[in-house]
Amino acid sequence: MFKAQRLKANRGRALQFTFEGTTVTAYDGETVATALLAAGVTAFNVTRGGEPRMPFCNMGTCFDCAVCVNGHSLVRACLTDVSSGMQVNRQEGK
Amino acid sequence: MHDLGIVGAGPAGMAAALAVADMGFSVIVVDEQARAGGQIFRRPPEAWGERHGVYRPYAWARDLIERFEDHPKITAAFRATAFGVLRGNDKDDRASLELAVSSPDGGQRVSARRLLLATGAYDMPVAFPGWTLPGVMTAGAIQSLIKSQKLLSGKRVVLAGSHPIQLILAGQLLDAGADIVEIALARDLPGLKEMARGLPAVPGHVSIFTEAVRALSKIMRHGVPIRWRTVVSEATPEDTGLRVRLETVDPSWLGTGESHLHEADILVLGYGFTPSTELARQAGCEMKWDSAGGGWTVLHDARFQSTAPDIFVAGEPTGVAGAERAWAEGHIAGLFIAASLGAKLDDRALSHSTRRLIRAGRFSDVMQTMFEPKRKALAELSRQDETVICRCEEVRNRQIEDALQNNPFIQSVNAVKLECRSGMGVCQGRYCEGTVAARIGNAREASIEASGYYNAHLPVKPVALQVYRDISKD
Amino acid sequence: MIAREGGRVLLVERDQINQHASGSNAGSLHFQLEYRMIERGVEAARKAAEAMPLHLEAAKLWSDLPDLCGQAIEVKQTGGLMIAENTHQVELLEKKTEIERSWGLDNRMIDRTEIDRIAPYLSERVIAAAHCPTEGKADARTAGPALARAALQAGAQIQTRTEVTRLERHGGRWHVVVTSAEGTMELSAESIVIAAGVWTTRLGQMMGAHLPTIPLALMMTVTQRVPKLIPHLVQHAGGRLSLKQALDGNILIGGGWPARLIRNADGEPNFEAKPELLASSLSGNADMAIRVLPELSRIPVIRSWVGTTTVTSDQLPLVGPIPKQPGAFVATGGSAFTLGPSFAQVLADLIAGRMPDTDLTAFAPDRYERA
Repeated sequence: MFKAQRLKANRGRALQFTFEGTTVTAYDGETVATALLAAGVTAFNVTRGGEPRMPFCNMGTCFDCAVCVNGHSLVRACLTDVSSGMQVNRQEGK
Repeated sequence: MHDLGIVGAGPAGMAAALAVADMGFSVIVVDEQARAGGQIFRRPPEAWGERHGVYRPYAWARDLIERFEDHPKITAAFRATAFGVLRGNDKDDRASLELAVSSPDGGQRVSARRLLLATGAYDMPVAFPGWTLPGVMTAGAIQSLIKSQKLLSGKRVVLAGSHPIQLILAGQLLDAGADIVEIALARDLPGLKEMARGLPAVPGHVSIFTEAVRALSKIMRHGVPIRWRTVVSEATPEDTGLRVRLETVDPSWLGTGESHLHEADILVLGYGFTPSTELARQAGCEMKWDSAGGGWTVLHDARFQSTAPDIFVAGEPTGVAGAERAWAEGHIAGLFIAASLGAKLDDRALSHSTRRLIRAGRFSDVMQTMFEPKRKALAELSRQDETVICRCEEVRNRQIEDALQNNPFIQSVNAVKLECRSGMGVCQGRYCEGTVAARIGNAREASIEASGYYNAHLPVKPVALQVYRDISKD
Repeated sequence: MIAREGGRVLLVERDQINQHASGSNAGSLHFQLEYRMIERGVEAARKAAEAMPLHLEAAKLWSDLPDLCGQAIEVKQTGGLMIAENTHQVELLEKKTEIERSWGLDNRMIDRTEIDRIAPYLSERVIAAAHCPTEGKADARTAGPALARAALQAGAQIQTRTEVTRLERHGGRWHVVVTSAEGTMELSAESIVIAAGVWTTRLGQMMGAHLPTIPLALMMTVTQRVPKLIPHLVQHAGGRLSLKQALDGNILIGGGWPARLIRNADGEPNFEAKPELLASSLSGNADMAIRVLPELSRIPVIRSWVGTTTVTSDQLPLVGPIPKQPGAFVATGGSAFTLGPSFAQVLADLIAGRMPDTDLTAFAPDRYERA
């Protein structure tokens, strides 16, 4: 599947965080949704029925981009800015 | 305590904030995004060093944003969610309104003498087999990722829907380097007669038309096929992306059975917009059905006051009508809010904004009628047994059908919700209400309006239980 | 029950089935005395305990209900705990269980060692509890419609979005005027049952009967679905708290925290208007819940809503024949979801002309005439 692609722009400084324990590089000012899409993540969360879900609305209304951030569940990746060292995990059984 | 609390820093919220703050009152604005502007004026993050984004064709946006951001009487809380409206009493036992707000720092209550709900709109959901798959996204999602994050979500793109925003978006996607496989639009190519009826919309909106024509010529130049009377009826996952089925529909938008397939990375849905009214519903505002305006809208008077005391509303929640009209509504609401707080009503400003409101209305009325989605026909796309209708609770068509068949006494979306959990999940029903309402209408041979709307409860967006505990602190 | 005995039954509902207190309560099946009955001391508790026969009957009826009506109703009687955090609460619980046991309820005190064994999820602050094995929960979301379907199968008719606008008795029969979108219609019946929750008093006035009730707007909160955490119905002896987990996985948090009823200009409550949540209730309830189960603090809440229930001045139900109104009966008041099946049994007996097994003296509306 095609990975989302960063377009040419002056981004913020590079930083690292983890998704499911793997290091992801992102840029200050990006949202977790952007960083995970650009990293080629194929499931932000998995529903109770076992379906993978990814960002749908990117404006905070659908909750399909929900992830766990630093132990907090149901955090909307599209409304969360990346920060250095943050631990992001897939949300199971949204 | 603030004089005015506003939810939403889009054109309506910013215009109202300025009108009230210019009279010397204190205003607090709460918004979930990182910066002011609303969905329409999404721009790159502050950390990237640019103050502004591209606001074409709205020439006034730049000045509005600057005045809003620089105003000393306006406080703004971004990345903050207003999850409920409460009524309380302040220290002197005066009745006050309170916004329950959650942010990454926790929960708090913000009190204000008046509230303005300028909560905008979201892409209208249409359920069909495969609409929950990764790679299926709304027009608003694709557009905001390009505008504010400079991210292209996929290379091969199919756009399906009925709203003209799809054409503008196609232009933006082409600029970003995407290959557009096809643009499918549910309605017929507008005839000459309809075009003629649309003429009153043009004066004052030349720039919007210019923008549309620009996009259209780009689409032609790239040889992108536009297919009218076509909807997306199914998406299935493939190793390399999505397989998208596009079906020809009759003039009432019902499927003809004739279809063709495409492969794509991304399927973009754009059927128009649904007003975000959950906070208004939770606050006890009466609603009004307006299909052309996007569905359930907030009932209000000429001063943009809702039926709930001291709560005003402006912008898309009064009926989706675009940024021009949202600005005018926000400004007028602001003038009346300032007057209700004791300022003298600024007649000159009011008549200026009213003229802009009427002009904007001429345009939005034509847009609304020309592109009103045929809701009952679109709801029929969800008739396969396993099609997910409620994305959060994964309630499928079969369960909705059973609920309606086994319980002849059920006529409302709220009763269906209790019966089979559709609308009970984390999105609070925003993404299934329309489909369920239309399906009840089809099953009971009644209007969609008669199905009613989901009750909205606090928190209108889920929050951790500890946020509740936090709001006792003042 | 009446339709099954061959009665011709029409159920008239002003809204949709299960939209008010029956569908919006938290679904607790509590047979122990609740906090509201013990907070005013032992004497008040003794009085409230007079309803125990109805509770014991309900404990049995609920477990038979799914079979009885041939519908899937989620009923889980996995036991209930009323917990104590200090010695004062322990004493209160001990007196309370003594009263309850004297009425025949299986309820006993357990200490921390036993709590560790059966309810290790509770915070260390909890030092003792009263354990009642028959308590539990039913799914208030689906129980109502399931019963409605069973009634339809038994031959009853249901008319929703239909409001009673007049109640009169002449010619030895009841004449009921109902109004709906289709217009106004007059019906006639031998017997009439008012099972209208907060609207009971108003319907009583229509027939000139005195049916005093006190409306109580109560808040409930539900979390996102989470893995199994709380098997019991948990209540608190020292404050307003009830906790339980539905089969679907959502945790229900309640316990009687008030909401604000909307009142008309004349001070009368307006049951058509949505009651308002109070910040103090939201934070107070959350605080108690997190105190006894700290894991809850990070679990997302999906909604808090208000159900308006009815209680009476003596905390006892209001059920039985309506004085001076032959063929008219009432059932409402306090724990009405738990007691629903008992009410139904009593009403079916009364309408069929049988003497109910339970002595209704303490609950019948004529207690207000006697007073």
